[in-house]
Amino acid sequence: MSIRVDPDLLLEIKEYGDGEVETCFNCGNCTAICPFTTDDYPFPRNMIRLVQIGAKDKLKQSIDPWLCYYCGDCSQTCPRGAEPGEIMMSLRRWLTAQYDWTGLAKKFYTSKAWEIGSMVVLGLLVAFLALFLSGPIVTDQVELNTFAPVHIIHIADLILAGFLTFFIATNVFRMHKNIMWDGMDKKVPLKLYFTEAWELILHTLTQKRWIQCDEDKEEKEGISKWLTHLLMMSGYGLMLIMVVFFLNWFQTDEIYSFWHPQRLLGYYATAVLLFGSGSAIWGRIKKNTQLHRFSHLSDWIFPILLLAVSITGILIHSFRYFGLPIATYYTYIIHLAFVAPMLVLEVPFGKWSHLYYRPLAIYFQAIKEKAKQEQASAKTAPASAD
Amino acid sequence: MATNKIKVDALVVGGGISGMQTALDLADQGYQVALVEKEASIGGKMIALSKVFPTLDCCSCITTPKMSAVAHQENITLLTYCEVDHIKQNGKGFIVGATNKPRYVDMDLCTGCRQCEYVCPVDLKNPFDNNLGAIRAIRVPFSTAVPQKVVLDIDNCILCGKCQTACAVDAIDFTQQPEEIMIETDSILLATGFEVTPKDAKKEYGNGKLLNVIDGLDMERLLAPTGPYGHVLRPSDGKEPDSIAYVQCAGSRDETLGVEYCSRVCCMYAIKQAMLLSGALPLADITIYYMDIRAFGKGYEQFYQNAKAMGIQFIKGKVAKIKEDENQNPVFRVEMVDEGGSVVEHTHDLAVLSVGMLPSFDPTPIFNVPNDTDGFIMTPDQNFSASLTMIPGIFAAGAATGPMDIVDSIMTAGSAASAASAYIKSQQNGKEESSSKIADLQKESQHA
Repeated sequence: MSIRVDPDLLLEIKEYGDGEVETCFNCGNCTAICPFTTDDYPFPRNMIRLVQIGAKDKLKQSIDPWLCYYCGDCSQTCPRGAEPGEIMMSLRRWLTAQYDWTGLAKKFYTSKAWEIGSMVVLGLLVAFLALFLSGPIVTDQVELNTFAPVHIIHIADLILAGFLTFFIATNVFRMHKNIMWDGMDKKVPLKLYFTEAWELILHTLTQKRWIQCDEDKEEKEGISKWLTHLLMMSGYGLMLIMVVFFLNWFQTDEIYSFWHPQRLLGYYATAVLLFGSGSAIWGRIKKNTQLHRFSHLSDWIFPILLLAVSITGILIHSFRYFGLPIATYYTYIIHLAFVAPMLVLEVPFGKWSHLYYRPLAIYFQAIKEKAKQEQASAKTAPASAD
Repeated sequence: MATNKIKVDALVVGGGISGMQTALDLADQGYQVALVEKEASIGGKMIALSKVFPTLDCCSCITTPKMSAVAHQENITLLTYCEVDHIKQNGKGFIVGATNKPRYVDMDLCTGCRQCEYVCPVDLKNPFDNNLGAIRAIRVPFSTAVPQKVVLDIDNCILCGKCQTACAVDAIDFTQQPEEIMIETDSILLATGFEVTPKDAKKEYGNGKLLNVIDGLDMERLLAPTGPYGHVLRPSDGKEPDSIAYVQCAGSRDETLGVEYCSRVCCMYAIKQAMLLSGALPLADITIYYMDIRAFGKGYEQFYQNAKAMGIQFIKGKVAKIKEDENQNPVFRVEMVDEGGSVVEHTHDLAVLSVGMLPSFDPTPIFNVPNDTDGFIMTPDQNFSASLTMIPGIFAAGAATGPMDIVDSIMTAGSAASAASAYIKSQQNGKEESSSKIADLQKESQHA
């Protein structure tokens, strides 16, 4: 089997993060300290080696970067200060760019101007569009649904959902092709995709692998990173469902009683989003954990957008509650100007894409392992019959 | 406090193999030399070792004659249990203040008969055996110590007076005070040696709390004929280990410890110990986990190949973590770098950390002799005059200048003695030193 070598791969990967690939002398410390290493996936050193030798195709077909949760043990103990954890982070960004056929992901990760510029342009565009299409401004009382009729917003929502589905589906198809077709000699039986589907659901909802990262640590870092992340995900998951599918119910001028599920769910989601994004930003400012020592622009934009969306959401709610019509309407426009780039750009092309890439990678890993097991048992079965 | 004054041509600081060789090389040329050693006996680290690589000569057998030669060379004034306090420039020479620590024993009277040692009721951990064996509070530091005189550990003494009663020559004096010594000298030679990585340096290796994780110097004592047990036994339960494993680079080439350099001796001493262990415990499995084997000296590569041929197992991969199982066996977690990269957990009976070399003495508080970035004494002209420091008249030898083995230490000792000899001659004949790159460097640093 021949490997096509790309001598510029190292330089390419370095555009995606701060790791020091070239200082690694392949001692294997990172792999041995990693709580996730298995015989089939002995990372991070194998990934670093692939970058060092320029094995681009092999790297594209790898699942390993998605199996890492960046606990930072490898970076902390690396005798060369090569920051293997950060290299794995760079590789996740790079893989996201490889899966994406539009080239936007690559542009966002490697150019600050592109990332910030496109966010600003889209935000402004949405704001102007919303202003242009908005209904009459009622100042006697707060009538958000007159200003921004919910059926129009809902249509925009569905268009957005279609847009997202298209790009996510095509990128996921490319990810699947890289990992499951190009990365394997034999195709796996289709039925495994169904039998292992449970893994996908389980890992999407629980992210339980991450708990392994916190185990075996002498010093616990306050509230577990896994729990913080899970809460944050439950928050935006809930919000996404309410806004995309139940907007009629969610965006209403009627003020329900405090114990109404609409308000309770909204409060819960907002609280965990504020806490999650706030602690992520705080951690990145303080750089006090391994996970937060290095911050790529994309690591800042994502929690900042989440925080901005949460805060403007709270403001809309309060202004409406206190009967301030004009303030409500304009905050709503600002809210949209943050929501749109967050969903349109971050989900398919940005950091938020790990929301589906990571569980899918674990799913593909489970399928591959199952296929390997079945192959092994198929081989031994006739032998024992002889 | 009484002050003694002596005047010499050269002062050698440190009585290990480098210092002894430097002092002998100068004294044999007729110079008056003072040798200052902080411990109660000269011999340094080398006298505690088992055998040397790659010849497997007995260390005591090579070091003891050197120690005696130093003691008997009439041009050498030997000052043991003595530490340098300050150095002052005195024209082109120096005035050095040193303190002779009280031994609580009259050096002139003591015959080294050890009667006091036999009656002393206080048993302490023996520092010469890396705390593996026991020793009395009043003792000859070790059997081949030079000078062969006792020293009293006053911090642990219970002042029972038994030694005083036992001493036939009435040499024990509990009232002894520190003595100051002024040494006027033309040149100073720093042979202050090294320390090893502390066992608790790396938390991944148990912070020094795992009983069956020892270091290379511990193993030297276990293997030495003069060692504490006469056998290789593991500390936790005194069992003979069946499986012994070495962790290479446990203190060198590791940014997390701030030591990025290679300590140069660990590969070879681990291989040497592995060979000696094959003799001491013929049935034991011996494994060396390494990142790279650096067998660079004359005969070293052959030595390594011999070790492989003897059945010592070499596994490429840095040991990432050592845990302990229920029997206090160390369990290694390591990536098999050469075998597909899978991660394994191997259990051994005894783990030996191949600890690295660290600078032991920082001269800067005493005198402005600059250190290099690695903490060892700076020798700016490494290629042509490796023993010259940044100060004219001050020279350095052995592991004080950087990690090195015994062979190289002796070589640099000779080089330092030769450079110092030329310097002393030029001072005494009133000639200027020849201009050279290094002299310019030294002048620049003095003006700075």
